[in-house]
Amino acid sequence: MIAPASRGSLRDPRFWVLTGAALLLFATFAAPSLTRTGNGVDVLVIVDITGSMNVRDVKLAGRPASRLDLVKSVLREALASLPCPARFGLGVFSERQSFLLFEPVDVCAAFDAIEGTLAGLDWRMGWEGDSHVAMGLYRAIDMARDVKADLAFFTDGHEAPPPPASGGPAFEGERGAVKGLIMGVGEYALSPIPKFDDDGREIGFYGMNDVLQENRFGPPPKDAEGREGYNPRNAPFGGQVATGSEHLSSVREPYLKSLAEATGLAYRHLSDAPSFVAALKETAKPRPVPVALDLRPFLASGALALLLAAYGLAPALAALRRRFGAKSFAFPFFRRT
Amino acid sequence: MNAIFAQPQMLWLLPLAALPIFLSASRRQAYPSLEGLPEDLFSRIVSLAVAATGIIAIGATILALAGPYRRGQWTERVGQGAETVLLIDRSGSMNETFAGRQPTGGEESKASAARRILRDFVLQREHDRIGVAAFSSAPMLVLPLTDRRDAVLAAVDAIDRPGLAKTDVGRGLSMALAMSEEGAPLASRVVLLVSDGAAVIDPRLQNKLRAGFARVRVNLYWLFLRTAGDRGIFEAPEPGQDTPQAMPERHLDIFFKSLGIPYKAFEVESPDAVREAVREIDRLENHPIVYRERIPRQDLAATFYALAGLATALLLGAKLCEVSLRKGVVERPLRLARRGPA
Repeated sequence: MIAPASRGSLRDPRFWVLTGAALLLFATFAAPSLTRTGNGVDVLVIVDITGSMNVRDVKLAGRPASRLDLVKSVLREALASLPCPARFGLGVFSERQSFLLFEPVDVCAAFDAIEGTLAGLDWRMGWEGDSHVAMGLYRAIDMARDVKADLAFFTDGHEAPPPPASGGPAFEGERGAVKGLIMGVGEYALSPIPKFDDDGREIGFYGMNDVLQENRFGPPPKDAEGREGYNPRNAPFGGQVATGSEHLSSVREPYLKSLAEATGLAYRHLSDAPSFVAALKETAKPRPVPVALDLRPFLASGALALLLAAYGLAPALAALRRRFGAKSFAFPFFRRT
Repeated sequence: MNAIFAQPQMLWLLPLAALPIFLSASRRQAYPSLEGLPEDLFSRIVSLAVAATGIIAIGATILALAGPYRRGQWTERVGQGAETVLLIDRSGSMNETFAGRQPTGGEESKASAARRILRDFVLQREHDRIGVAAFSSAPMLVLPLTDRRDAVLAAVDAIDRPGLAKTDVGRGLSMALAMSEEGAPLASRVVLLVSDGAAVIDPRLQNKLRAGFARVRVNLYWLFLRTAGDRGIFEAPEPGQDTPQAMPERHLDIFFKSLGIPYKAFEVESPDAVREAVREIDRLENHPIVYRERIPRQDLAATFYALAGLATALLLGAKLCEVSLRKGVVERPLRLARRGPA
């Protein structure tokens, strides 16, 4: 009984439209799993944990926060938004050394653990009070090259003690061999640096006499001869106690930019996670990684379009035809049988 | 229900699923009047079923496109293992060989020996949750207790990087204790201290540690990588030399023994001995542990695709059942096209 009846159905274009939809839907089960080449992130993050990172001159959710807290919050958010697979390694910088906590590992698989480590970052992990940013950066670059990752170095650029008049240590590696970012943390205005006692309790701020204001190692600066009390043998740096603002801290942008220039990294000022991720993607080496490509949504979109057409197209055309006259919308397939 | 959508914005299309209520996919057929036909319950049911099938087909396709998945869940299982904190010495001397030299050629530094063997250890301890802490001048939380093997291995891989200056065992131990304390309440807890030296723990910290070890029940293992010529743990003191300053290793051992906790020290002088020690720890630490295993997130889209495909196939079937009134083969007027013009 169906045979003669269905002949009419077979002439109905909607039958074929529905057939197409069904085929596309069943094809989702046979769809091959393709991989396309995406641009993966493979980054070694080194965070400055020296004392100047405790300066509370940045804001986190509208409240004053320390620079280190901002870095931690930005990293946590950035990690969650990195496209999988993304590899992330973490180290800390203090004194003149960058210390690797763990080598790059897939964030998507180990997010909880990495988040715990990030939360545990603290200035108390620092092993010495000094902050030779340039040395730390150079070692971080070596380390990034070893683990074959890009580098993101978070620092405020505050050298303690200040670099000598003759300039800091020069970069001896290959410029641009490691790609990545120096992220400048902190505001441009000077802020006091919190001071802690042996048990880690905050006991105020550093004063002018608490820190070395001028590095008097090496040859004196050129203008020393004009200083009061200058004596080439007994007082080559002048006779006065050095004064300055080394006990206050701001992000040392020109210095960090010069380091970036010398090492072939890019410099960015840290504001929030999206801009950090964007900058990272922009400066990182392209790293082709296979990304799974799900074909099913494409097939299903086609099926959905066909299903909607099966229901909606004929009545819509009919309505248009009624409105504008049969001729302009004469469409052979939808003629009544 | 723990299901979520990867592309929730697709759900805005869901109202389209109502289309079959208003429109039909069946052919329109000219028929003088439906008034003359009797109300037929069966026809009504069929017509409603066809409309419902259409709703299901469109709705399920849209839901599938929204990418539904069930979030990864945890199940509790019982296995053999422990919650282990690896407390690793990252002082500079770890980068030297067991002979106390900078490694040359085929020689292996203490750090790389420790790294190689700890890697094996981590891989063997299938059900352990492992955390990593490092210490030198200051203790460092490297990785909280976790069951992510690859993260632990990445942290273990980092231990043969250049180390720092000093060996502050005391504060390292208190960090390891704090990490152990955060673990599951009933798990068997292990702290594995790997170091190539010891230091004097100041008496105030000793008291704190004593209280800490009494509170958190841990089994302590000390893997002492002894450099040739150094004083060992078990070496008998020369008269007048038996002070913590002169023999820090021996006195750290005495301190550990006085804690009243399960404790064992392994003094190893070669990479092979390290392996033996790790094997013994592996054998000793096999207690039942309730561990949690993650069930990875489950893709539910396939179910919806199947549903949509099935519904569409049914619609096709309905389509094939349509009859043409003009052929006059109707035995019973199927009212598939009941919205056709009267």
